Amino acid sequence: MTIDTIDINTIIHNYRPEKRFTLAILQDIQNKFNFIPKEAIFIISDYLKVPASDIYSMATFYKALSLKPKGRHIIKVCNGTACHIRGSNTLINELTDLLNIKPGETTADGLFSVEIVNCLGACALAPVMVVDDKYFGAMTKDKVIEVINEYKEAVENGK
Amino acid sequence: MKVIINNIEYEGLPGETLMELAKRNKVNIPNLCHKEGFEGQGRCRLCMVEAREGNKTKIVSACVYPIHDGLEVNTDSEKIRAMRKNIILLLLLKTPNNEYIKKLAEEYDVKAPERYMDFSINENCILCGLCVKACEKMGTSAISLVNRGTGKKVSTPFDDPSKDCIGCGACAQVCPTNAITMTEANGVRTIWNKEFKMVQCSICNKHYTTEEALDFIESRLGNEEEKVCDTCRKKIISEKFKESYKNIFGQP
Repeated sequence: MTIDTIDINTIIHNYRPEKRFTLAILQDIQNKFNFIPKEAIFIISDYLKVPASDIYSMATFYKALSLKPKGRHIIKVCNGTACHIRGSNTLINELTDLLNIKPGETTADGLFSVEIVNCLGACALAPVMVVDDKYFGAMTKDKVIEVINEYKEAVENGK
Repeated sequence: MKVIINNIEYEGLPGETLMELAKRNKVNIPNLCHKEGFEGQGRCRLCMVEAREGNKTKIVSACVYPIHDGLEVNTDSEKIRAMRKNIILLLLLKTPNNEYIKKLAEEYDVKAPERYMDFSINENCILCGLCVKACEKMGTSAISLVNRGTGKKVSTPFDDPSKDCIGCGACAQVCPTNAITMTEANGVRTIWNKEFKMVQCSICNKHYTTEEALDFIESRLGNEEEKVCDTCRKKIISEKFKESYKNIFGQP
């Protein structure tokens, strides 16, 4: 994947060059690319006049920011208490088998990333799985296969 | 401002921390992450002392605790000794092979239960952050504390050779546990995965600093620096002093 430095520059110029905007810029870049490209750290550092080490420190601290490229669709499986008891491990195992990746990894075709999160605050829907911003409640093994196929088809149909 | 440490009264200066007062009066408060000239960090927690406030006492970190009039402190109470031992024990488990921490544990009679000791851990860093602070004070900020939780460590961005690093070695110098490796061979200094060409002293020919560090200092001062190492510089200055004393007092 090639990173457009013009894109990064457009994002950072939405903000004035002040240190307090570091996190806001990092979040915007995360949203745009689904990860923080290495170049971005140094471009932000030049623009804000903040040491690159400080920005790198921040980027590695927050879980919402990732330095590794993420897939097009991010699947979050809740493993909080309620979801755990209602069988979230079955979902995780099913996803591991289906996509051939471990939680925290991205598929080779760059389509899916799987993450385990600790609580999504939707315990009534347990076990919950979230794809991008869409919630899927009361999940079962079969439903996981359905959802994944749905997304795969959507991509194949050029959406 | 009167401050009582271990039943002896000391005169405190406004704005001082307890650690600064103690160091000034040669009162020993054990610590790892405090260095004169740096503000306290409150990271290593070894400088915990018991401060009396009214009828109650509380546990505070001496390096960040501002003194006030009538403050009464005990640096070696039963409670403090127990807590200090606990902190040293945790440090020992984190860095079981570090010479300095091992000595500290011996000094305070701390022995870790054998089943918890894992001598295969080859860690020396206690994450006190002094090196990061030193780098920041130098004006380079090439290193920082990265990651979090158990993966936390000190490094340059992406563990790459940093363009900000000038190889001055300040980080290695302040490190209380000697955790930063800096090697020098054939006029090349290696630190933080980066190699630096070293500069020779124009008097004694010793390799004493890196080209980048010298450039950095020159760019800050705006004039060219003499290429003289610390030892030779001391000699030159003492000669100058000798001369000026002669002028004042005549021949000694």
